[in-house]
Amino acid sequence: MRVTLISIPVRDQEKALKFYTEKLGFIIKKDAPLDGGNRWITLVSKEAQDGPEILLEPAPLHFEPSKVFQDALMEAGIPYTQFDVDNVDEEYERLTTVGVEFSVKPTTMGTVKFAVFNDTCGNNMQIVEML
Amino acid sequence: MTFYETQISRIQKSCYSNEMQIATVIATRSFIDDNFNTDLNLDVLSHIQFVSKYHLLRLFKKYYGLTPRQYLMDKRIEKSKENLANGMTVTETCFAVGFESLGSFSTLFKTKTGKSPSAFQKQQLSRSKLSSEYGILEKD
Repeated sequence: MRVTLISIPVRDQEKALKFYTEKLGFIIKKDAPLDGGNRWITLVSKEAQDGPEILLEPAPLHFEPSKVFQDALMEAGIPYTQFDVDNVDEEYERLTTVGVEFSVKPTTMGTVKFAVFNDTCGNNMQIVEML
Repeated sequence: MTFYETQISRIQKSCYSNEMQIATVIATRSFIDDNFNTDLNLDVLSHIQFVSKYHLLRLFKKYYGLTPRQYLMDKRIEKSKENLANGMTVTETCFAVGFESLGSFSTLFKTKTGKSPSAFQKQQLSRSKLSSEYGILEKD
């Protein structure tokens, strides 16, 4: 068994695709139509294109408990998952200039530095730098 | 303050309040990053940080979740993947990232990545060749 996919619940796949590619800089790996206007969309990191894929999953639209869980995480400020970056301060600067909203500014805790932003599709996401 | 921030500040206080220890492990990690290709061991690392070997080992594991040696091996494998993808030979790569024998390098590489160094390199090079040809096709 291998780990290749990280599923992220999103409220709007098209909007998520735009945000994750245009603002965050991921690139499309797969985009296949499914029924009911849903798509199988996966993205990879530009720097590690053979690394794990992100799946933009429309679960909150079709499965109420997924929406409830997503809302609860958002309300509590808890990141759905996190991405590694080389420099949190630089990413924070880059992302704020393109309009990404942060709920936690770059913060150092022990051996990591992190920040939390809103992915505009229902999730808080964390960026992390190992110190 | 959100629930998350409250939890973070709680963890900050309970796990990350010893600044001396944190400075020690951060300096150790950074030293490994800068010297991964040399003959590094716990004696060298602890000597530089003026702490005992086993104390340093415990601290590093406590804050990073793995031992300095495991961290060093991961670093060397990561670097060897870069070198192989850039066309460096397997033997050159082995010594360039700090391994002393081709056998131990190949075995570890296969364990960590699922492929031998030469198979990995073959795959990477054919992939980059493919993408450059594909790039040419796209321009047409």
